[in-house]
Amino acid sequence: MIDFALADELRLIQQTAREFADAELRPRDREFERARGVPDDVRRRYDEIGLGRVELPESLGGAGLGALARVLILEELAAADAGAALALDPLGPALYPLREFGGDAALERFAAPLLARPGARAVLFWDARPRIREVDAVATGILPWVPSDRADLLVVLEKERAYAIAEGIRCEPLRGAGLRAAGASELHLERAPIVASWVHTPQAQRALARARLYAAALLVGVMRASADYSRAYAVERQAFGRPIAHHQALAFLITDMAAAVETARLLVLDAAWRLDRGEPAAEACASAFLEASEQSMFVTPNGVQILGGHGFMQDYPVEKYMREARALSLLFGGVDLARDDAGRDLVRSEGPVPLTVEA
Amino acid sequence: MDLTLDAVTRKRLEQARELGRQQIRPLGLEADRQGRPTPPEHPFFETLIKLGLGRTRWSASDDARGDATRANDPTRVGTSRTQLCLSEELAYWDRGVAVSFPGPGLGEPTVLQMGSPEQKQRFLARFVEPARPIWGSFAMTEPGAGSDVAGIRTRARRDGDDWILNGDKSFAANASRADWIVVFATVDASLGRDGHRAFVVEKGTPGLANFVIEKKMGLKAYESTSFSLRDCRVPSANLLGGEEHYAKRAGFKGAMRSFNATRPMVAAMAVGIGRAALDEALAFARASGVEREPRVRDRLERIRRRLRAARLLCWKAAWLADHQRPNILEASMAKAVAPTVALEAASLGMELIGEVGGRGDHLIEKLFRDVKAMDIVEGTGQIQRMIMARKLVQLPSER
Ligand SMILES: Cc1cc2nc3c(=O)[nH]c(=O)nc-3n(C[C@H](O)[C@H](O)[C@H](O)COP(=O)(O)OP(=O)(O)OC[C@H]3O[C@@H](n4cnc5c(N)ncnc54)[C@H](O)[C@@H]3O)c2cc1C
Repeated sequence: MIDFALADELRLIQQTAREFADAELRPRDREFERARGVPDDVRRRYDEIGLGRVELPESLGGAGLGALARVLILEELAAADAGAALALDPLGPALYPLREFGGDAALERFAAPLLARPGARAVLFWDARPRIREVDAVATGILPWVPSDRADLLVVLEKERAYAIAEGIRCEPLRGAGLRAAGASELHLERAPIVASWVHTPQAQRALARARLYAAALLVGVMRASADYSRAYAVERQAFGRPIAHHQALAFLITDMAAAVETARLLVLDAAWRLDRGEPAAEACASAFLEASEQSMFVTPNGVQILGGHGFMQDYPVEKYMREARALSLLFGGVDLARDDAGRDLVRSEGPVPLTVEA
Repeated sequence: MDLTLDAVTRKRLEQARELGRQQIRPLGLEADRQGRPTPPEHPFFETLIKLGLGRTRWSASDDARGDATRANDPTRVGTSRTQLCLSEELAYWDRGVAVSFPGPGLGEPTVLQMGSPEQKQRFLARFVEPARPIWGSFAMTEPGAGSDVAGIRTRARRDGDDWILNGDKSFAANASRADWIVVFATVDASLGRDGHRAFVVEKGTPGLANFVIEKKMGLKAYESTSFSLRDCRVPSANLLGGEEHYAKRAGFKGAMRSFNATRPMVAAMAVGIGRAALDEALAFARASGVEREPRVRDRLERIRRRLRAARLLCWKAAWLADHQRPNILEASMAKAVAPTVALEAASLGMELIGEVGGRGDHLIEKLFRDVKAMDIVEGTGQIQRMIMARKLVQLPSER
């Protein structure tokens, strides 16, 4: 029966992630941004507590946990610093196509060496076709932006296939719009050999679904940070003789921001719960990503608005949250592609809308 | 975490769906066409009674055991979530008809919360196994005071062993057919809520008069009735909780309940209306062969997604209530969000059906008229935000 309580194990993971994020990430977010990465001491701490490995199979030193554990951690990390969350995760969502298509063998081959090299990063890119020329399993072209300063492994995911590239990648650093703590570069592929390639539509769909959920969980963290920060500010800041939060226009804005965070979070949890039960969840993951994207574009600009002129200044974190939210929702095909998948079951010519209470 | 439903809930949903398809939806459409509520003598209400519906959740034996957390508690443990799912399903078929169901209605929570054991016996026992359809009603709103509950003006004056009530009440559901109406009045308007007294005014009491069934934009299947109290004499035995209750409560000013089960329920009804609009819109899109158009699909997708999110808000609030955990923020959140999502569903449905919506005979058009009330009843969207803001930013109360 309907129950929102988290199992003890999950609560503990959530708590651990929150403590780590509060202690190690949030106080240093601007430093990470300037440095385009997290320093080794933070990375070591992160590796020690093992948060990065919850989803990895036990053969790779992971905990073999599911999507719920992952989204809880990602929300906590992103509520402190979404860029750092990406920087700390060497595999990132590139894990999903490797695992879905190649199984343990692909993880052994591609993930294990990456994890052994401190600071190494894998990058997942959605559908490079218009930009990449492939001739005889050799790829050439330019990808406009990935949130990383290095790409030890590039996994390209398309509708029906995925492929991996490990060499011949050059990163041209970019300033980056948001997520600068993760780095930002233009990827140049110069006759880069495709070292593995898989074809299978359902796998591609599942990998994309999980990647979207990953981004959605980060978005929830970012907008939560924005809503919480601006709410606390509004209780302190005085104008016209009372806290600005007690002017109804702002009080109601703040309530709506809280509701926006909660709706996005619930859809993320719903999708993760479905994934962990082994139910089809492509639509739920796409929905969660869409909701998180749309709501974050309501919440984070208003987070800046509530701080007024101060919000625009980099002395406060809310402008950063706004940039991060915008950047995150551009990933993995962005919202337009997500709409295709979220609405797929609606464009069938018959059958009920799967929104009965039991569905 | 678990988002499945238990077997009991599933079974009751199945029953509700059956009843909905066969009776509730057609009755709602009929009432809408005729522009009047389903009359109390309609055989449908007899059917409901035979099905065991239209009853109270109060039970004399729980009461005797002093088991206040069960029957006497309007948010009885373990039932909120099931009730919520049923509310959504009934509203899916017709929210107006769902409110017209016999039973103690909105008066029940007040009687349960404030009434003495004798009063519960007197006013609720008849709803335990009613032989015929009977109703209760609840009247707080007045022409001059709705959201600002503390501003009600209906006066209660003590006269010997009785009370004399004078004032006007608005929009009370099922009032003209009710066996009794819970009427809120004030002994001293300057005291705000501290001056309030709740009375059970029984049908036929002299001075209880001028019933006017209002003409509404939608939800026509149940009556929203205004009436007046003119030197209406009510025995003090009908003052809910007796004098002591109010003397005690005065010291507890602001001691609001920390959880609420009604708002998520009303929010779930909005989800039901929205879901009906979505289904109709999709059916129309399919029939016209436009369901694949990205512009159509994207709108339907957004509605479906936001309805699902609104439902999760309702579920979470009800789950908290079922565990007697504070849910004021969550309950108001659900109530603030769901009606706007449902309105968007009905409104986009109108856009999709285009000029057909202008005819005034399409279900979506009816849903569009029905749904707006959901953002008004049980505390408007603005009032929900005030409640949330009290929790989130310590917004001071207006009174
Ligand atoms: C279909 C229907 C059924 C109903 N059934 C019942 C019933 O059975 N029993 C019963 O007692 N009542 C019933 N009502 C009445 C309902 O509870 C009231 O209409 C509602 O509480 C709003 O009160 P009002 O109409 O006086 O509006 P007002 O309180 O006058 O509000 C008007 C507008 O001002 C806004 N507003 C008010 N105060 C503030 C504030 N401080 N800050 C910002 N905005 C504010 C409101 O949100 C609203 O938008 C029903 C109403 C409807 C439509």
